[in-house]
Amino acid sequence: MISITKDPIDLCQILVGTKDRSAGGQVVFIGSVRDHNEKGSVSEIYYEAYKEMAEDKIAEIEREVREKWDIKKFVAIHRIGNLKVGEPSVAVGVSSEHRKEAFEACKYAIDEIKTKVPIWKKEISDSGVAWVEGVSLKRSD
Amino acid sequence: MTKEELDLRIIKVKLFASSRELLGKDEIRVSLDNQTTVGDLKKMIVEMHPSLSKKPVFVVAVNHKVVDDSTIINHLDEVAILPPVSGG
Repeated sequence: MISITKDPIDLCQILVGTKDRSAGGQVVFIGSVRDHNEKGSVSEIYYEAYKEMAEDKIAEIEREVREKWDIKKFVAIHRIGNLKVGEPSVAVGVSSEHRKEAFEACKYAIDEIKTKVPIWKKEISDSGVAWVEGVSLKRSD
Repeated sequence: MTKEELDLRIIKVKLFASSRELLGKDEIRVSLDNQTTVGDLKKMIVEMHPSLSKKPVFVVAVNHKVVDDSTIINHLDEVAILPPVSGG
């Protein structure tokens, strides 16, 4: 299951979505809004996505994950809109027969989501309001 | 798309995040000829909106894929300019 949503991320949904009778392990990564950046304290983050392309890119990441590891279920949800400190902004869940594949696949997926998917954040902090300009997207092959 | 837009081969280019805020709108209209490439489009956009050249380099996505500057744009393509990403 892949979703870009304005709704709060339901962590139970990730656990249920990755449950599989043949899986011995489930790994879930949750990324949340941190109360600070390099310059000072952060009160909230606004997330924006190119939703249709972002969902396509995450589907591509899921296909890559499934080529590299024998996983059972894959769930990735990214929230958009205004989020307060502590609120989950992204969650990735993977289940597999043994824990090793689930840990590796989950790490790969979140690393890829952070650098290959058209989602942007604007931090509202002590030092002002600023878009975080991270990684330039590369040509898709 | 109206008949007029088809005749003039005007496309809408989607804007996001810093580019969207900079121009104060979520899409801009650009007129194409038959051979307009992504590289041409980037030049045209920066000429029309010089403030965009002050931003970090943006890339262009056509039909949800980032393409290189030599790609020719069809007037039915979905085109977007994308600043560097920062999800997660």
